[in-house]
Amino acid sequence: MNIKSDNKNGISIVRVEGNIDISTSPDFKKHFKKIIGDKVGTVVINLEKVDYMDSSGLATLVEIYKNMRKYDGTIRLVKLSDKVKGLFEITKLDKLFKIFDDEALALDN
Amino acid sequence: MEKREVVAEVEDLVKSFGSRTILKGVTLQIFKGETFVIMGGSGCGKSTLLRHIIGNLKPSSGRVVLLGQDITDLYDEDLDVMRKKIGMSFQSSALFDSMNVADNVSLPLREHTKLDKSVIDIIVKMKLELVGLRGFEDLMPSELSGGMRKRVGLARAIAMDPEIVFYDEPTAGLDPIVASVIGELIMDLSKKLSITSVVVTHDMKSVMMIADRVAMLYEGKVLEVGTPEEIKMSKNGIVQQFINGDHDGPIKFFQQKDDYLEKLIQ
Repeated sequence: MNIKSDNKNGISIVRVEGNIDISTSPDFKKHFKKIIGDKVGTVVINLEKVDYMDSSGLATLVEIYKNMRKYDGTIRLVKLSDKVKGLFEITKLDKLFKIFDDEALALDN
Repeated sequence: MEKREVVAEVEDLVKSFGSRTILKGVTLQIFKGETFVIMGGSGCGKSTLLRHIIGNLKPSSGRVVLLGQDITDLYDEDLDVMRKKIGMSFQSSALFDSMNVADNVSLPLREHTKLDKSVIDIIVKMKLELVGLRGFEDLMPSELSGGMRKRVGLARAIAMDPEIVFYDEPTAGLDPIVASVIGELIMDLSKKLSITSVVVTHDMKSVMMIADRVAMLYEGKVLEVGTPEEIKMSKNGIVQQFINGDHDGPIKFFQQKDDYLEKLIQ
């Protein structure tokens, strides 16, 4: 898994490449430590290059969101593959996160 | 015809315990995403077959391939790596009575991963939601009904996102309504999570409800493999007797090795 971060107008953009699973989700979580420490209000997570996410990946996202909610932060997810979107629907997480088809839309929203 | 991906394969499997041969050359293939049911009467060798497929027993001869790997001669750590990819739901639910529901479900995650407790707690909630037991995290197994215990066992079986889940008599000891609920849950989980399910049962209602394909095992051999409809239409007398639950037929319920009267006066 590869993670690259960017900032635009105070919004953190996190682009992930690879799978988010039991072996990589601890690193995924670590990446958000500074973002949460800095109380970044909005984080856009681009999952276009994530083919597979398991329960640990989903739970890690929920955990990050839980921590951001403490200071009213929000997460916007971008470009979920059909497989990942399916997992969000099964676990009802599609109702918890704002999901966008395109990064520009997520930034504008 | 589209070639289907084989996720488990048993080849000419023979298993003897002492002089008793339980499996007498079983060959079958299980395809990715299907619900495959191994049915047969008590003592026909179906649970023994299941234990070979998950590597708990070693065959006397023959071969078992699971998720592309020959596990016939795998032991210890190598087998453990393979077992992390499968889930197992036991006949007795096999819950730890001293642990609450959440701890039972999270056990494989705590044992086999380095995930933080906070993440594991969220996974447990997600799994319990899938089996319809959200909010029951703090209850102890003794406070649950038989059906609820089975569902906790199911939640634990899917905790690690397995590619295959094995169910040993999932409806045993349950009333028909709860058995039907468990059957629906197995179908639901298989479809939603794209899991391959392998179910061992003698419960005909479950077989017809959940199976994509069925293998009928009798006296250690596979008699027939087919869809539930094909099995229903089978011309094999043993299969017909089993699915109709007839007392009379080729299946013998009493097995004697020697003459009773002769034995009495010996």
